[in-house]
Order: sequence, then C-alpha cells, then structure tokens
Amino acid sequence: MSVTTELLTPSDPESSLEAAEAATHVEGLTPMRLAWRRLRHDRVSMIALGFVVLITLVAIFAPLLTDLIGHPPNTQYSNGLTLYGHPIPPSGQFLLGTDDLGRDLLSRIIWGARVSLEVGIGATAMALVLGLAFGLISGYFGGPIDALIARFMDIMLAFPILLFALALVARFGASLTLILLVVAFFQWPLIARLVRGQVISLREREFTEAARAVGASDFRIMFVEILPNLVALAVVYATLLIPVNIVLEATLSYLGLGIQPPTASWGNIIAEAQNGDLYTIAWWMLVFPSVALFLTTLAFNLLGDGLRDALDPRQGRSHVTGGGSS
Amino acid sequence: MIFGLIARRIVYLAIVIVVITLATYFIFFAGNAQNLAARFAGHAATPQAIHDAAIRLGLNHGFWWQYWHYLVGLAHFNFGNDFQNAEPVRSELARAFPVTASLVVGAVFFWLLIGLPIGIMSAVHPRTKRDRAGTIFALTFLSMPTFVLGVLALLVFYYYLSLAGVHFFPAAGYVPLTADPAGWAQHLILPWLTLALVQAAVYTRLIRSSLLDTLGEDYIRTARAKGLSRRSVIYRHGLRAALTPVVTQLGIDVGTLLAGAIVTERVFSLTGLGELSINALFNGDLPVVAAVVLLAAVFIVVMNTIVDIAYAALDPRVRLS
Repeated sequence: MSVTTELLTPSDPESSLEAAEAATHVEGLTPMRLAWRRLRHDRVSMIALGFVVLITLVAIFAPLLTDLIGHPPNTQYSNGLTLYGHPIPPSGQFLLGTDDLGRDLLSRIIWGARVSLEVGIGATAMALVLGLAFGLISGYFGGPIDALIARFMDIMLAFPILLFALALVARFGASLTLILLVVAFFQWPLIARLVRGQVISLREREFTEAARAVGASDFRIMFVEILPNLVALAVVYATLLIPVNIVLEATLSYLGLGIQPPTASWGNIIAEAQNGDLYTIAWWMLVFPSVALFLTTLAFNLLGDGLRDALDPRQGRSHVTGGGSS
Repeated sequence: MIFGLIARRIVYLAIVIVVITLATYFIFFAGNAQNLAARFAGHAATPQAIHDAAIRLGLNHGFWWQYWHYLVGLAHFNFGNDFQNAEPVRSELARAFPVTASLVVGAVFFWLLIGLPIGIMSAVHPRTKRDRAGTIFALTFLSMPTFVLGVLALLVFYYYLSLAGVHFFPAAGYVPLTADPAGWAQHLILPWLTLALVQAAVYTRLIRSSLLDTLGEDYIRTARAKGLSRRSVIYRHGLRAALTPVVTQLGIDVGTLLAGAIVTERVFSLTGLGELSINALFNGDLPVVAAVVLLAAVFIVVMNTIVDIAYAALDPRVRLS
C-alpha cells in the first residue's frame, strides 16, 4: 500500500494519516532522517545547534528583548557615563557596560545579532540560489554553455573580492541591501563550481537515463531528478558559508564601509572600541562583541562540520574559505 | 611546453586586466564624473572651479575616451596620477608595496610553520587526542575574524603587557627593514602572528584532508610493504603528493594578500597597499584604486601560473601540456 493511494481516499482523513505514517515507517528512514539521527548523537553539533537557535531567537526578538531590558540600542544615557565622560564598566544597571556615548552595550550587541544574521543568512541564500542555478545549467548542458560559464567563473575568482566589495560600497554608499548583493554576487561561483562537478557525475547515472528514456524534459530532469541529490551538498555548504558571510559583514562594518552608525553591528562596535584606543579604558567594548562574533561563527562552523559528517560520513573534509577578509 | 603555458597565461591575464579595469572604471564613472570633480574642486567650489577640476582630472571626456587613455598609459606602465595630490600612482605603489610584502612574507613563513606540523600530525594520527587538538585549533581560528584576533592581540600584548611593565610590543606602525632590521621585526611580529594564525587554521584542515587521502592510496601500502621506514613513507611518498592542493591554495592566498592585507594593515596601522587602497576608496581616488585592483589581479594570475609550474615538479604524473 503506497502513501499516495491512501492519501487520495478522502473518506477517512484520520486513518489515512495514520496509514501514511505507517507507510513511511515501512519504507524505512529517508536520508534526511538518517542524517538527523546521526547528528542527534553528536554532542558537539547539538550544542552548536542549540547556540545557533538561541542566537537566531535573540536576533528575531531583538526589539522585545531590549524593551525588557528597558534600554533601546541607540539611546544615550547620562548615567551611562562616568563624571569624566568615560564608558562605565559592566554593572547591575548596564549588564555589559556602556559605550563611549553612554549607550547600553548589551542592547547594541543584541541588535548587532540581527544585522549579522540578516547578512549571513540572506547573502548565503542568494549565493546558493545563483550557484545552484548556474552550476546545474553548466554541468547539465555542457558544451559551449558550460565553457562560457566556466570561463566567467574563472575570471570572477581572480577578482580581489574584498577590494571590489569595498569599491562598490564606497561608490554607492553602504546599505544592507548592497552588502547582501555584493557578497552573494562574488560567492556564487564558488558554489556553482562545486555543483557543476556533482551534476556532471549525476547526469550519467542510471536514474537520469531512465528519466530521459521515459521522455522527461531537460527541465524536469534537472529540477526533479538531479536537484534533490544536491540538497545534502547545499545544506552543508550553506551552513559553512553563513559564518564566512557573518565575518565579511563584520569586517566591512569594522572598516567603516558596512553598517553605518548609529545602527549597531558587531563590527562597528569593535571599530568604535579601537577608535582613539578607547579599549584601553573600556575593555568590555572590545571583548563582548568579539566574543559574540566568535561564538556565533564557531557555532555555525561546528554545526556545518557535524552536518557534513552526518549527511555523508565518507565525504572528504574540505573547508570553505572566505576569500580575502584578511 | 612551459612556454606554451606561459603564453596562454599572458593572454588570460590580458583578458582579466581588461575586464577588471573596465569593471573598476564602470563602478566609479557610471554617472559619477560630476560628483568626483566636485569632490576634488574643494569645499563650496564655484561651478567654474568644478569645471576646472574636471578638466584637470580628465573627467570632461567621455567614459570610453578616459578608459582608452588609461589602457594606453598602462601599456607604458604608467598608472596615471592620483586625484588627491597629483602624484604619480606608481611612486605611491612603490612606497606601499614593501610594507605589504614584509607583512605577507613573514606571515606565510609563520602560517606554514604552524599549519604544516599540526596538519601532518592530525593526518598521521587520525581520530586520536592529537587529531582532536588539531581540530580544535583549526576551528577556533577559522571562527576568529582577523580583525578580532588583531584587536584582542593589541589589547593583551600591547596594552596589558605595557601596564605590566613590558614594553616590547609596539601598538602600530612600520619601520623599514633597511633602516632597522630589529625594529622592523618587532613592529611586525603581532601582525605576522595575527595573519598567520587565521591562515594556519585553513591550512591545517587542508593538509590533514589531503594527506589522509594520500595515505590511503595503494602506492603508500606498497611502500610500506616493501619495508620503507615510516618516516620515508610519510614524508617522501605521502607528503609530496599531498602538497598539491596546499600549493594551489598558497598561490591564491599569497597573490591576494600581496595586493593588500586590508584588515591586518588597518588594525596595526601599516601603510601598505591595503591602507592605500582603502583610503583611496574613501576619497574616491580612482587611479589609485584601479591600480591596486589591477595589481591584485596580476598577482593572482602570476601566482597561479607559478603554481601550475610547481605542480609538475611535485607530481611527476602532471606534465605541462
């Protein structure tokens, strides 16, 4: 009894649901569930996942959290500075201390998480869509289309990424959208190259030939037959690209070409701390955003590592390198 | 054979240079010439002054004229004059390059010194405590943005150590090697290590996976079976083949960094190509930006070519064809 025939019987929705569940059990675990099962037994990955979920919640509920604290991120408090106008260290009132303008550092770091994840996840998603599309087309059709895309990618990869991102931002002014677009634009060739390699081998496999034999269109073969096989690769790569992009945003903001003050970003808080050697009187301005940035990046990296092992224990370990943020 | 490769690379390089300079020019000029002229005419400039500035900078001509003019200059190794001080860009590059080169060469030395042994150790003893320690090292510094590591190094080694009475590490600046070799190294030690640790993390992973793959090959088993010493098997047979992807990555990294380790230079106030380009970007100084971007592309392509030649030396199966 297959799942589809059961679901097509509308008379008894409850029993058909049960039957569907039973059917999936008979069929065995899907690769995704198998991977999840493996991941669940990996303690480090689960801690990393926990942290990723936590920081995501913090980012989503940033307005609510800062309301709870009672200190909006951009409000300057006169009691947030010492008599000499210096930032005050962590205390009961300002848990992580204040910055040079008397703003609550904790609130600013919470809002910084929002910016980080917006860029990290947004840019990765865009790069992934572009990379999958071009990789699929290039690998599936081969021939002159493939050659053209491959040449184009070669040239893109010879571009000094950070410098070009900076040039674009300097010319058009820094904005979240521009940063997202720039990062995605320069990253898709990395993904496309990987996808292309996979597609070339998948194209020759039996199931693709079978689909072709029964008269499936190129479009159908690409998106229905081949694409699902790329999910594992895409998930792992995306998880490892997110921290790269978070670092890229923080770096741009640190250099003064990313998120502009007064909007808080971990990168620009650190830049403010270094400005005029402020960190020598207010270490907390340097240390807390650094820790937030480090832990977030680390959590994504650990999770990505764990996911790769879980999705395909045999797959080689290669690391995504950010390219140019040094 | 080697000449064929180099000839093909030169053609490729020419294409890359045209594409990259064109992109740079386009980003800067598309509807922006008037703004640039106003910027360099000074504060509250009259329309006449702006017009004069445009003529002085050559901005009154059309886009393609300017770009052609630039390419002709390039053919004579003339990068033009910068907008800010009307100084030849070439002399600014010549002043900044030694700083960046000092930073990169030292950092490469340290990152291989740190990365190679850890990577080899992890691969030779996979899934042991030592391997795990290597993994922790790699993930820690992979997750550490360069600028975070740099500013934390300043906080600890410059500030806290000088509070404790140790004034060894300077906060910033560059001393030319020819003027004072000891001072040169002293000023660069923190930047070197900052850049090196972040890069070493990538390299330990690269070496580990590459060497693990190689050590699983049949010819390694053969070498072992015929009674070669462990050392000879790992280093002469294994490592030599495993270094291929490492050399590739090294080529890309050195090429990219030579055009400016932007972040490290900013953190430690080193006046290298990175600082030069970022200041030029803030000021809208197109000739300087274009020159640095161009230099970067040239370095990347040249390094890739050197890497391809090095392959043949490392791996006898690869022949340049």
